Amino acid sequence: MAVKKFVVGVFTDEAVLFPAIGKVRSAGYKIHEVYTPMPIHGMDHALGLRDTSLHTAGFIYGITGTTTALTGIGWVFNIDWPVNIGGKSHFDLAAWIPITFELTVLFSAVGMFLTFLFLNQMAPFVRKHHFNLRSTDDQFTMVIELTEKSNAEEIKAFLTNVGAVGINLQEAETGWWIGRYDTDKTPLKHKGELLA
Amino acid sequence: MQAPLRYESQVRTALVEGQKDYHQVTEDIVRPVEAAPSRLWWIGFIISVCCLLFGVWSVTEQVIYGVGQWNLHRTIGWGWDITNFVWWVGIGHAGTLISAILLLFRQGWRTGVNRAAEAMTIFAVMCAGQFPIWHMGRVWLCFFIMPYPNTRGPVWPNFNSPLLWDVFAISTYFTVSVLFWYSGLIPDIATVRDRAKVKWRKLMYGVLSFGWTGSTKHWQRHESLSLVLAGLSTPLVLSVHTIVSMDFATSVIPGWHTTIFPPYFVAGAIFSGFAMVQTLLLVSRKVLKLEGYITLEHIEVMNKVIVLTGSIVGIAYLTELFISWYGQNKFEGWAFAQNRVNIFSPYGWSYYLMMGCNVLSPQIFWFRKMRRNLTVTFFMSVIVNIGMWFERFVIIVTSIYRDYLPSSWAMYYAPSIWEVGFYIGTFGLFFTCYFLFSKFFPVIAIAEIKHILKKSGESYKEKMGPLEQMPVEEFAHEYAHAH
Amino acid sequence: MSSIKEHFVTPVRYKQWSIGLMAVGVLSLIIGFIMYGGHDQGVRFWAALLQNSVYFLLLVNAVMFFIAAVSLAMGGFQMTFRRVSEAIAASVIPIGFITFVILLCIVFGGKTAIYEWLDRDAVAKDPALNGKKGFLSVPFFMIWTVLTIFLWSFLGWKIRQLSRSIDDTPLTVAEGKKYIFKNTVWTALYIVWFGLTVASVTPWLWLMSLNAHWFSTMYSWYTFASTFVSGCALLTIFVIYFKNQGYLEYVNEEHLHDLGKFMFAFSIFWTYIWFDQFMLIWYANISEETVYFKPRLDGAYVGVFYLNLIINFICPLLIFMKRSSKRNWGTVTFMSVLLIFGHWLDFFQMVFPSPRISPDRVPLNLFDFGIALGFVGLIMWQTARVLSKYPLLAKNHPFLKESIIHHT
Repeated sequence: MAVKKFVVGVFTDEAVLFPAIGKVRSAGYKIHEVYTPMPIHGMDHALGLRDTSLHTAGFIYGITGTTTALTGIGWVFNIDWPVNIGGKSHFDLAAWIPITFELTVLFSAVGMFLTFLFLNQMAPFVRKHHFNLRSTDDQFTMVIELTEKSNAEEIKAFLTNVGAVGINLQEAETGWWIGRYDTDKTPLKHKGELLA
Repeated sequence: MQAPLRYESQVRTALVEGQKDYHQVTEDIVRPVEAAPSRLWWIGFIISVCCLLFGVWSVTEQVIYGVGQWNLHRTIGWGWDITNFVWWVGIGHAGTLISAILLLFRQGWRTGVNRAAEAMTIFAVMCAGQFPIWHMGRVWLCFFIMPYPNTRGPVWPNFNSPLLWDVFAISTYFTVSVLFWYSGLIPDIATVRDRAKVKWRKLMYGVLSFGWTGSTKHWQRHESLSLVLAGLSTPLVLSVHTIVSMDFATSVIPGWHTTIFPPYFVAGAIFSGFAMVQTLLLVSRKVLKLEGYITLEHIEVMNKVIVLTGSIVGIAYLTELFISWYGQNKFEGWAFAQNRVNIFSPYGWSYYLMMGCNVLSPQIFWFRKMRRNLTVTFFMSVIVNIGMWFERFVIIVTSIYRDYLPSSWAMYYAPSIWEVGFYIGTFGLFFTCYFLFSKFFPVIAIAEIKHILKKSGESYKEKMGPLEQMPVEEFAHEYAHAH
Repeated sequence: MSSIKEHFVTPVRYKQWSIGLMAVGVLSLIIGFIMYGGHDQGVRFWAALLQNSVYFLLLVNAVMFFIAAVSLAMGGFQMTFRRVSEAIAASVIPIGFITFVILLCIVFGGKTAIYEWLDRDAVAKDPALNGKKGFLSVPFFMIWTVLTIFLWSFLGWKIRQLSRSIDDTPLTVAEGKKYIFKNTVWTALYIVWFGLTVASVTPWLWLMSLNAHWFSTMYSWYTFASTFVSGCALLTIFVIYFKNQGYLEYVNEEHLHDLGKFMFAFSIFWTYIWFDQFMLIWYANISEETVYFKPRLDGAYVGVFYLNLIINFICPLLIFMKRSSKRNWGTVTFMSVLLIFGHWLDFFQMVFPSPRISPDRVPLNLFDFGIALGFVGLIMWQTARVLSKYPLLAKNHPFLKESIIHHT
């Protein structure tokens, strides 16, 4: 949660964006984020992000569901209230498989979805700063953080060089806040104009 | 570092027709959401709401006066309503198949149809759920089916009963389908949000988008989530109709107790679901002018799935019929030979209707001309759904209308007006939801279309000529370099 | 740019191994015949031959099914190793012939200890068997068997022929479309025949009728699931082997990953089918159906019963769940071998506990493994023979390039 300054570069073609990322990174600039309208394979590796471990979380939730179902049904049928059902044993694993399976899936799916929202800091009425409204349409937006060591004009020139079609300087809140999209109470207004 | 090499064989038909770029895709798909609904939309919507209200009235009558309002009787304790339940659940399955299984099989054509199909799944499961719930009679006590600590003993539900498995299966299926559908919708809702000019639209889509920004890390997690949800949904969708089939197959009733039921119900479900997808999409693509995204190629591929699943179902019908003879069990043999195959028996006609609609008529889709004919496709999609309704009717009614003792033979089961009204009401519910969905949400997954656009889009495929002509070794070298 | 190896040359050691294994098979056959051939119609001997020949026939035929199904679904990813699958599928012809001869000997040799329905006295006395003698009869059995094996061989040969027919003629886009269409027609015909045989009638005749009174509508789909998993495993082993020998330059982890996914998914599918069949019979508890599980779950075969589940369900579930293990050549090799063995064991427990064969005792010994190794040798030999005759790469196929850049 801090207000920082960013240089924002807009690209229109991922074939330009990919080499640009490499050059920006090797020049030592700090890429804050890259926003794209759709998932692009290999982008996370190009940015040096580590793989997500969301699926591991999903596995753990699933195991929890399996255990819940088996212990729950087992407890009810063997300890709490043993009932003779069709003369079969009280420990009817074959008949418990369906519910066990369903709960495994349910726990895993719901748990993963909530974890996904939590990690991404997403929820209704959560607001974040949007650097470029067309990055959910047809533009790819690279956001470079302006640190003490870097110089805005230099970065702008660099971005033009690697193929950005629009560049501007913005001051933005990096975290999220509670807000609505119709009453635009952004803590900070966009600053700077599109250059190109 | 270079962008991944985009290549697809020129032999394949383009999945997005016309000269489209990313922006054009957004424009085309969001247009119906931003424009005022057409007159056709209003007519359809009003008819649907009327049907829904008729259903509400029918159900109200039934709740006030009890299940006696329905024409169920001693042997046919399950009739019209449970047929409708199975029919609706089955329809839902195609959506999950398209979104999950085809995602795992990486069938590119799913991107054009998956969003609408998933929505259809959710609405169909909502409709299906109505039947067992209202059939309970004292519906205000419906929470008794959930296992929770209570003051009645505690008495627990029977975890060994397929009916309770159904409770878990259907509710899990509904929940997971909603999550899958919604997580796919979030980026597209954000697209609509960022284009919004009107206050209420900014507010609504802003809230619904959960603050999606499209950052790379988010997309990475999103991909992971979709993939795992697809992996979970695939066995889940199998399990749901499997468990529905076990409602019948676990019981010792001739015509019901047969081991092939689970996979054969699943195949039938996918079959009828695809027919319903065809019905909806043929209309949607026309009304919403999305012919460039739901192309003839999509229709043709879905018709191939229909002929495939129809034939699988056919093999299962014949297997059942054959084993009823091969098993040499008198009661099983009678259930098939006398109650179904004998065309002069009271419900013999329904067996032939089922065979004709589900096994014979889809065989015309062996011909390419038929697969690409919109009128034939639409007609067949309706026929298949009628046939699949009768499949459930055949399974349920012809197995139980004659009990072991002739004194317990009760013929001519026909639904009362309230049962019919209930069924029509679920149609109302289904189409009301679908109309609202097609008005307020993008019916095609925008981000996914953009994802395949530069590979399978017509305008981009035209530029792939040099890659197509390139000798294999050079191509492989090029790829190794780009990678 | 290193040029790729277009032709496979069978290594000497490979040839020695395949011939050695076939020799083991023949030796086991002879020893088995001497030891078991004379006793009680040689039931032990013939049952082992039946189990192995049917299993390995369905196994190589499942590879043909893999080709057909992937082609029909317009899947491009198989193209880099398509010739390997074709070479394995060519074994349908010799193994089909062997199976035919074995079935011929059993049926015309009057081995009533294998097939109870061959026993005329028993059939006459038994109303159930008498009632279905139109189906369980020598003429129908033989006609259907001939048709099954012949059409599998012919349609498979035709599809392989089509694949080779364009090796020297690069196709234009229009020709490519026509070629794909022609392929679709033949693969569709194959699939239809596959549906009528493997997915329905043939397993009833060959295997289900070993328990002449028992019936299960699921049975054929169960044998299909079992052999399809092991078919994918067989294909994977060969792909890995040839890759290891320096061939198949365009095959990489992506293709391996997908083959692993196939094994994973269809292992779960097999379990699903297994569970449905078992649970429905267990739940309804009707004696005429549960009799099938009596020797398996409640008798001598209980160990095999659980081992079957552990190898074919628990192992692939736990090991193949991770992405990294599906991309690891060593793990995938190990799992493929395990699955082929596992489903061989599955077939073992489908055949041997039958009422007239050996319901009270598990007769598994070196003889069974010897026969199995003989078939393995035959598949190795035939695959290498066919593979070395034709180019290793279907280089003019319209989908080849897609397969090269294939990305999971």
